[in-house]
Amino acid sequence: MNRFFYIIIATIFISSCEVIEGPYMNGTIDPIDTTNNVYVKNILIEDFTGHTCKNCPDAARELDAIHDVYGSQIIGLAIHAGQTFARPYPIDPTGNPDEKFIYDFRTSWGEELDGFFQVSANGLPKGMINRIDYSSSGDHRKDWGEWANIVGDELSKDVLFGINIEINQTPLMLSDQFDIIINSESLSAMSGNYKLVVCLTENNITNWQKDGDNDDESYVHKHVLRSFLTPTFGEDFASEEINNGDSFSNAYSPVISTLENNNINHSQNILTLGNGNAGDWDLNNMYVLAYIYDESNNEILQVEEKSLLNK
Amino acid sequence: MKNKFLTFLFSISCCNLIAQNNGQITGDFSLNLQSYVEDAAINAAAADEVVLNNAFLNLTYSSNNFIIGLRYESYLNALLDYDSEFRGNGVPYRYAGYTIDGLEITAGNFYEQFGSGLIFRSYEEKGLGIDNAMDGIRLKYKIGKGISLKSFIGKSRTFFTYAEGIFRGIDAEIDINESFELENTTKYILGGSFISRYEQRTNPKFIIPQNVAAYAGRLNILNGGWNYYGEFAYKINDPINSLQENQMNYASGSAFTNSLTYSQRGFGITAEIHRADNMLLLSERERTGKAYIMNYIPTLSKPHAYTLLAIYPCATQAMGELGVQLDIFYKIKKGTLLGGKYGTKVNFNFSRINGLEGGYSMLNDNQDHSPDLFDFSQELYYSDINIEINKKINKNIRYNAVIANQTYNKDFLEGKTPGEYGVLNSTIAVLDLSYRIKKGHTIRFETQALFSKQLETASKEAEGDWLMALAEYTISPNWFFAIQDMYNYGNENESKRLHYMNINVGFLKGSTRFEIGYGKKREGIFCVGGVCKLVPSSNGLNLSITTSF
Repeated sequence: MNRFFYIIIATIFISSCEVIEGPYMNGTIDPIDTTNNVYVKNILIEDFTGHTCKNCPDAARELDAIHDVYGSQIIGLAIHAGQTFARPYPIDPTGNPDEKFIYDFRTSWGEELDGFFQVSANGLPKGMINRIDYSSSGDHRKDWGEWANIVGDELSKDVLFGINIEINQTPLMLSDQFDIIINSESLSAMSGNYKLVVCLTENNITNWQKDGDNDDESYVHKHVLRSFLTPTFGEDFASEEINNGDSFSNAYSPVISTLENNNINHSQNILTLGNGNAGDWDLNNMYVLAYIYDESNNEILQVEEKSLLNK
Repeated sequence: MKNKFLTFLFSISCCNLIAQNNGQITGDFSLNLQSYVEDAAINAAAADEVVLNNAFLNLTYSSNNFIIGLRYESYLNALLDYDSEFRGNGVPYRYAGYTIDGLEITAGNFYEQFGSGLIFRSYEEKGLGIDNAMDGIRLKYKIGKGISLKSFIGKSRTFFTYAEGIFRGIDAEIDINESFELENTTKYILGGSFISRYEQRTNPKFIIPQNVAAYAGRLNILNGGWNYYGEFAYKINDPINSLQENQMNYASGSAFTNSLTYSQRGFGITAEIHRADNMLLLSERERTGKAYIMNYIPTLSKPHAYTLLAIYPCATQAMGELGVQLDIFYKIKKGTLLGGKYGTKVNFNFSRINGLEGGYSMLNDNQDHSPDLFDFSQELYYSDINIEINKKINKNIRYNAVIANQTYNKDFLEGKTPGEYGVLNSTIAVLDLSYRIKKGHTIRFETQALFSKQLETASKEAEGDWLMALAEYTISPNWFFAIQDMYNYGNENESKRLHYMNINVGFLKGSTRFEIGYGKKREGIFCVGGVCKLVPSSNGLNLSITTSF
C-alpha cells in the first residue's frame, strides 16, 4: 500500500514539468484583423525609464517586440523619471568631453506620475500596462517580462470608448501651433467618472543611453514624453451615467515652442540636477497621444495616438 | 478582511484550547525605529515621515501534538534599507499543524528547504528584508526506519501578497545504515528532491512551458572525522515570457556543491567547490528582486563579521559562477612557544569565485551555448585569503587578529558598467582586543584598516582607504556602551573623506534588550550567506527593542 502511494505521488510530481524541444518559435503569427472595426482596443504601455539605466533598453526592445506582434494596438509612452537613472550629468566639457548623458529627458508630468505611482522607487525598468492592478492586490508596476502576457489579456477586453484625434493648422496660426481636437465616443452604457489625458511624445531621438555594459551614443529613444496638454491626471470628461453612443469633444491649441521652453525652464530651475538641456524638439517626429481612464481605479480604457504633422 | 477573519479564528481557537489543555504559549517581539535626516555630504536622504518603523510579534501556542502560530508585522513605514513594498500592518504569517501517527501536517504558512537549497529554499532573513514563506499545505512523514518524506504545495510570499507561481515539492531522505540496519562505521545518507512551479502564461510568438521543474540529489558520507557532502541539481527549460528572441533562454540550469571535511580535536580542514549555471529559480519567471528568488546557492566565501572585512562582500551568482574554498583550523597546544598558557587558535581561509566561460548556458533557435564545466581562468568575481588568530593572553586579556587580502569585482558584483569602478584589491588588518577590568566590567577595542587600490583604470573615483576604531564597555549583565568611527581618509574625492561616527547604548534584562544609537551609516552592500542588499546611507537616531517569552 505504501509503495503504491509513493508511486502515485512520484508520478504526479514528475509529470509536472514540460521539457520543450526546438524550434521554440511558434508558427506564423496571424495579424489581428481589425479592418471591419471602427474602434479596436488599444493598449498603453507606460515605460518608466532612464538614460543611465543599463537594463532599460531591454524593456524598450520588449515594447518594440510587442508592437511588432500587435501593431498599432500597442502604444508606448517612455517616461524618464526618478532620482537615480533619469538625472542628466552636468554639462562639463572638461570632465565629460563626450557629453555623455547630459540631455534632460525628464518632465514635470513624468515626475508627478512617477511620484504618484511610485514606480522608479521600486527600481527601473518598470512599466504600467493600461495602469491595471493599481487598485487590486496585484502590483501595477510590471517588470518588462510580464508585459507580453498582460497585453494578451488586455486585448481581449471590451472596447468601451473610441477616440479619434483631429489635428489642424489654420493660416492665422504660428508655424508650430496646432488645433488638436479629441473626439471620443462611448461604445457602451456606463456609470462612473472618466478622465481624458492628452500629451505629446517624440519618437526617434538619438542620444546617449546605457545599454547593458555599453554607453551607446547612437541609441534611438522612442515614444518619449514631452509635454501634457491636460493636467497630469486629466480633465473631467464624462461622469455618472453615460449612454451607448454618447460623444464628446475636447480641443487644445498648443504652441510647441512654448511647451519646449517650459520644459527647458523646468529642467533649469526646478528639477534636481537639471541643466536646462531639454530642447531640440523635432515636430516631424512628434505625436499626440490621448487616453481615457476610469478615475475609480486608474485603469486606462482606451488610448490613441496620431502624428502631429499627420504623417 | 481575510486577515482579520483569520486572526479572529485564531483567537477563538487559542482561547478554547488554553481552556482545555495545559498548552504552552511562546513568543518574541522586535521593534526597530530609525529617524532619517538629510545629510548631503554622505548622500543620505531624509524620510518624509521623519521616523520609520519595522516591528513584529511572533506568537506560538503548542499543546501535545498540536501547534498554532502567527506573526503580526508592522511597517509604518518600512526602514529605508527595506523594500518599500513592506508597507502597513498585517498578519502575513499564520499556520496550524498537528502530528499524528508519524504524519506531520502544516496548513498555512511555513518555511522549507530541500538539501542545501539548490532547488528550493523558503526562508526569512530580517537583516536582508527577505521573507518568502510558503502558504499552503505541507506534509512530513517518517516511513519506517531512516526514511523521511516531506512534500508541500503552496505559493510564496512577496511582501504582503503572494507570487503567482504555484509550487509543488517533494523531498525524500534515507539513512542507509538505519534503514538496512548496517553495522558499518561509515554512515551514508541519501537524499532526493523535486520541485515544480506552475504559472499560467501565454505567448503568441514562442512556446512557453507552464510547468517548470527542478530536481536534485545529495549524498552525505560520514566516517570518523571525515565528512563528505555532495549535491547536484538540475532545472529544466525556464524561459522568461518575452517576445524578443534574444531574451528567450530554453537552456537547462544546473548546480553542484561538494565539500570534504576532516576534523579532530584542535584541527579541522574543509575543501569545497561549487558551480552554478543558469540556476536562478523564481516564483514568477519575469520578476526581478530578491523577494521572488526561491532557491539558494550557498556562498563559498568566509562570512566576515568585522566591518572593514565585510565592506566588499561576495554575492553569490546563481546565473553563473565557479568557486573553490579551503578552510583550515588549528589550535596550537597550550604550553608551547606559540600556544602560550591557554593555546592559540589559528584559522586560514582561501576562497576564489570566477565567472563561467562565455557566460551562462543559452539556448534558443539562434543560440546554443554551454560553458565549460571547469574553467578557472574566467573573469574573477571575488577572492579572499585571510588568516585569523585568536588568543587568550591571561585571564583578563584576549585578542583576535585578522589579516586579509580581498579582490572584489565591483563593476560586476554591483551591476555597474565595466570600467566604472573596475576591480578593487584590498588588504585589511583587524585587531580586536578585550580587557576584563574587574568582574562584570569588560572593555573592548577594535581597530581596523583597509588599504584599497583599483587594479585597472576606472572612470569613477574610488573610495580608497578606510580606518575604523571602536571602543565598547560592557557592564554585565545589564549595560553596554559603544562608540565607533569609520574614516574614509583615502577617498579619491577629497570632499568625501568623511567620518561615519556612531554611538550606541544598550540595556539588557533577562531576555529583553533595549538599544539606542545615533550616527551615520555608509552606503554599501550587506550580505548574509551570499544573498545581498544595497543599504543606503543614512544619518539619524535608532531605537531597537527585542524580547521573548
